[in-house]
Amino acid sequence: MQIAIYNKTVTFLLISLFALTALMAETAIANELNCLMCHKHRGLSRIDENGEFRLFYINSELFNSGPHRRNRCQDCHSDIDRIPHKPAKKVSCTQQCHIAEPSGNKKFSHKNVAETLASSVHNKYDKDGKLKPHSDDYPVCKDCHDQPLYRPVSVFKGVAKHGVSERSISRCKSCHTSGNFAEDFYEHVTTRLHKTRFSKEIISVCAKCHADPALRKRHKLDDVVTSYKETFHGKMVELGSEKTPDCIDCHVVEGENNHLIEAKTVPSSSVHKNNVANTCRASDCHKNASDQLASFQTHVTYDREKYPMQFYMLIGFKALMAIVLYFFLTLIFFELLRRLFPRFAFFKDNKPHHKNTNTRSQSSTDNGG
Amino acid sequence: MSKYDPIVYKDGKRYFYRFSAHQRIQHVVLFSSVLILALTGFPLRHADQAWAKPLYNFMGGTEYAPMVHRAAGTVLLALFVYHTIYWMVKFYQNHIVKLQQQNQLTVGNFIREFFSQEMIPNKKDLVDIIHLWKYLFYFTNRPPRHEKMSWREKFDYFAPYWGIPILGPAGVALWWRDELSHVMPGFVLNAAYIMHTDEALLAVLFLFFVHWYNVHYAPEKFPAAKVWLTGYLTENEMIHEHYADYVKVMIAAGLEDEIKPQHFAGERYEW
Repeated sequence: MQIAIYNKTVTFLLISLFALTALMAETAIANELNCLMCHKHRGLSRIDENGEFRLFYINSELFNSGPHRRNRCQDCHSDIDRIPHKPAKKVSCTQQCHIAEPSGNKKFSHKNVAETLASSVHNKYDKDGKLKPHSDDYPVCKDCHDQPLYRPVSVFKGVAKHGVSERSISRCKSCHTSGNFAEDFYEHVTTRLHKTRFSKEIISVCAKCHADPALRKRHKLDDVVTSYKETFHGKMVELGSEKTPDCIDCHVVEGENNHLIEAKTVPSSSVHKNNVANTCRASDCHKNASDQLASFQTHVTYDREKYPMQFYMLIGFKALMAIVLYFFLTLIFFELLRRLFPRFAFFKDNKPHHKNTNTRSQSSTDNGG
Repeated sequence: MSKYDPIVYKDGKRYFYRFSAHQRIQHVVLFSSVLILALTGFPLRHADQAWAKPLYNFMGGTEYAPMVHRAAGTVLLALFVYHTIYWMVKFYQNHIVKLQQQNQLTVGNFIREFFSQEMIPNKKDLVDIIHLWKYLFYFTNRPPRHEKMSWREKFDYFAPYWGIPILGPAGVALWWRDELSHVMPGFVLNAAYIMHTDEALLAVLFLFFVHWYNVHYAPEKFPAAKVWLTGYLTENEMIHEHYADYVKVMIAAGLEDEIKPQHFAGERYEW
C-alpha cells in the first residue's frame, strides 16, 4: 500500500516535471536541480548491496562534451524526485526524454534502436520470448556505448581527433550563431559518420565480449577476434588503415542499422551464405569479384576438423622451415666449433694438395651457364 | 665466350673470375627487390608488434607500402622470368650447340649435358656433404674440395628458385583477388595467404641466417665478401672454398708449380 502511494507520488511529480521541463526545454541545463552539489566530489562512492564498488562522481567536463549534455539529470534518472535521494534505479535507454526530435517534434527515445537490437543476434530472448541461456552475457546499450568510440570526433585537414575542434565548426558558426546550435549539430552528425570512427576501436568494442574465453566457451563461439586479426583486413587495420573492413562493415548489411547484426543462419544476414558475395562487393570493396570469392574463409582457427587445409598446410610449412633451418644452423654451429682445433683429427689425410687427386679427370664441366 | 680472364693480377695478387657484370647486376636487382619486399611485407605479417607500425609508416604506410610491395614483387617476378630465359640461352649456347656440331643431340646426351651444368646438384655434392660432416666431427683433417659451385652455393641458388614459384603466384592471386575470383574459388586465397606468408618467413630466415652467414657473418668474410661487387675471388677465398676448381684453373693457366696448399679451418689468412 505504501509503495502504491509512493508510486502515485512519483508519477504525479514526474508529470509535473514533464510539464515544467516542456516549458523550459530550450533553456534547460544539466545541473538544474543542483545535482552536482554532491556529485562533483570525486570521492562520492559506496559499496553497494552486491559488494561492488560504485563511483557516483560526475566529471562535468566529460559530461558537457558528451552526447547527453542537453539532457538534465532527471530526464534519465526519472525516479529521483528529491535531494538527498534513495538509491536510483538503472536508467532505461528506451524511455522518452525531453529532447524534441526536430524532424517530427516528437519526444526522443532510443526505443527503436532497442527494437532493432532485439531483432539481432544479440537479443537475449529467443524466438519464443524465453531468456536464452547465460542471458546476462548479451549486450545492452551501455556495454558498447561506454567506449571511446562513441565519443565525438572531429576531422580537420584529414586528421581525426577526439572532441569538436573550433576549426571544424567555424564555418557552421558564421551563420548558426545562436547558443550552442552549431556545436551540438556538428557533434550530432560527426559522431554518426561511420568512418570517422577508428576501426581499431570498433574491434575493441566487439572484443570486450568476443575475446573473453569464458564467454566464448559458454556460448560455443570461435575466437573470431584473433582469427580476424590474422587476416589481411585485421593487420591493415592494426597498422592504421581506414580502408579495410572492421567487424561492422561485414556483419551489417550495407545501409542497414548498425545494431542489426544477425546470425549467419538468418537468411537476411550479411554473412548468410547467400549474401556473403554481396557483402564482399559492398562499399566498393571487392566490387569486381564474382560470387566465388564468397568461399574465402575469414575466421580461420586452424582447427583440424573445421579447417583441415589450413591445418595441414601450416604443419607442412613449419616442418619445411624446421628441416631447412635446423640443418643449416646445426652445420654453422659445428663449423664454428671446428675452428677451435683446425688441425686436429682422429684420422689424418696426408694426400698431396693437388697431385694424385682426381680433379683433372673431372674437367668436363663447363664455364658457362 | 667469356670476355673475362680466369685469373687477373692486381697489386701482385691473383684474383679468380667468378661472376660477370650481367650476373652481378641480376644479383643486385634480386636482393634489392627481396629486401624491399621483406621491409614492406613483414610489418604487415607481424602487425601486432611494436616495431611494425613505425617501419610500415617508413615504407609508405597503409596507403603506399602495398604499392611498393607490389612493384618490387613485379620486378622480382620479371627477374625470375628473365633469369630463366638467360639460363636457357646459356645452356643452348654452351651445351646444345656443341652437341649439334658433333651431331650427337640425343635425349640421353641432352639429359647428361643438363646435369653437367655448374649449378645443377650432382654426386660430388653428396660426397662433399658427407665429407664435410666427417670433417666437422674431426674424422679427417681435410675440408672438402669444392668445384666451381659448392653444394651450399647451389642450395643458395635454388632457394629463390623454389621460393619464387610459391611466393609469386600466391602474391599475384592475393593482388588480383577480385579478377581471379571469376576463375577460381575464394578458398584458394586462404591457401595463397598461408603460402605467401609462411614461405616468406622461411625465405627471409634462410637469407638472414644462412646466406648472410655464408657471405657476411662467417669470421673470414666479416663484414662482407666482395665478390658480388668485383666479380672476382681472392686466391685465399678460392683455396678456402673451391680448392678443386682452384687447382683446375691454376693448371689450365700453366701455374701448376705455384699451387698453394689447402687451408684448414680457423687459420688466419689475409683475405
